[in-house]
Amino acid sequence: MNHFRSMMAASVGVVRCFRLLCRRLRLPEQEIRCVHSSRSTGKCGTLFVSGIGQSAWNAAARLHTGSVFHSLPPAITVTDEADVLYGKVEVLVKGHDKAVLDSYEFFTTVAAQELGITIGQVYEPKKKIERLTVLKSVHIHKKHRVQYEMRTHYRCIEFLRLTGSTAEVFLEYIQRNLPEGVAMEVTKTAIEKIPDHILEPLWNSTPQKEQSSQ
Amino acid sequence: TVVAERNNSLSRISSAICVTHGLRAIHATATCYKHHAARIRVGKRDKPVTYEQALHPHHIAHRKGWLSQHTSNLEGEAGAAERTVEDVFIRRFIFGTFHGLLADELVIKRRGNVLVVCALLVQKVGPQKIYFLIGYTEALLSYFYKCPVKMEVQMVKDRVVYKYL
Repeated sequence: MNHFRSMMAASVGVVRCFRLLCRRLRLPEQEIRCVHSSRSTGKCGTLFVSGIGQSAWNAAARLHTGSVFHSLPPAITVTDEADVLYGKVEVLVKGHDKAVLDSYEFFTTVAAQELGITIGQVYEPKKKIERLTVLKSVHIHKKHRVQYEMRTHYRCIEFLRLTGSTAEVFLEYIQRNLPEGVAMEVTKTAIEKIPDHILEPLWNSTPQKEQSSQ
Repeated sequence: TVVAERNNSLSRISSAICVTHGLRAIHATATCYKHHAARIRVGKRDKPVTYEQALHPHHIAHRKGWLSQHTSNLEGEAGAAERTVEDVFIRRFIFGTFHGLLADELVIKRRGNVLVVCALLVQKVGPQKIYFLIGYTEALLSYFYKCPVKMEVQMVKDRVVYKYL
């Protein structure tokens, strides 16, 4: 029970930390000089106000009825179930632009350090290039072709020894701030208790059974 | 339109040798070796051209960025054709809606479910009309594509000229 309580306290702490982190690590506001009609409550539920002026902002807000990013802050649930424990959470991001992946890696590692999450390896798997050769002309001219290629760059960031709630919160924060044109694959490796029937080796238990049968 | 060297076979061969497009053989056919995609050829130096138009497509990822940003062209991701068709429709739609107002090509970004259309507009028409057009575009496109559509607009005095070609 104490173990559960400490885990719950830790997860509540993590949720509070997450909200503080959202406010501390908010994205820099871009200088938008003129008309900016579509308003967004920024990621992680914080509100970014651009430098237009109250009336213009209200006018812009009246333009569209359904607000996109309005969501209630996640409610804190208290359960008695044991939290899942992850030995490793691997985040693989892919993109066409290496600079974007560099900056995203910086953002992720800094966020993890601020939240106290242990970072394992951060490495760059080799890029993959998909090439295709097509005919240049609509009709005949077989010797003249055009070649295109699509490059996919990768970055893998590993986080070690996380609890389920920490992983959920952290991954949600990371994914809400994923840049456009970048895809993410997450691999979680959970730690489970060894089942009881495997815990004791067979050769220890069977002599007792033989003795009991005799 | 541009069939400059077709008369003299010698001149054709000599010009072909200078231009290597991956093939190092002598080209004896018509001007198929020239690339036409997304290029404005140099002329009398009187045509103003933006940065996007001046740089050729082989400069993408080196000196140019991407105009349409989504994940479907990455390794192992699907839906490239659908996104491309959507993009083409959106570009034509906005070119028609904001007729004469677009300063440069649109930038279309997809973040999760949301479609973000970033446009540079020239200050030809008053702000009320711009507000109306933006709201109209957002509403119509969100009904077409069943996803939230947001426009991020920046106003510019004139089209920004990079070069004269």
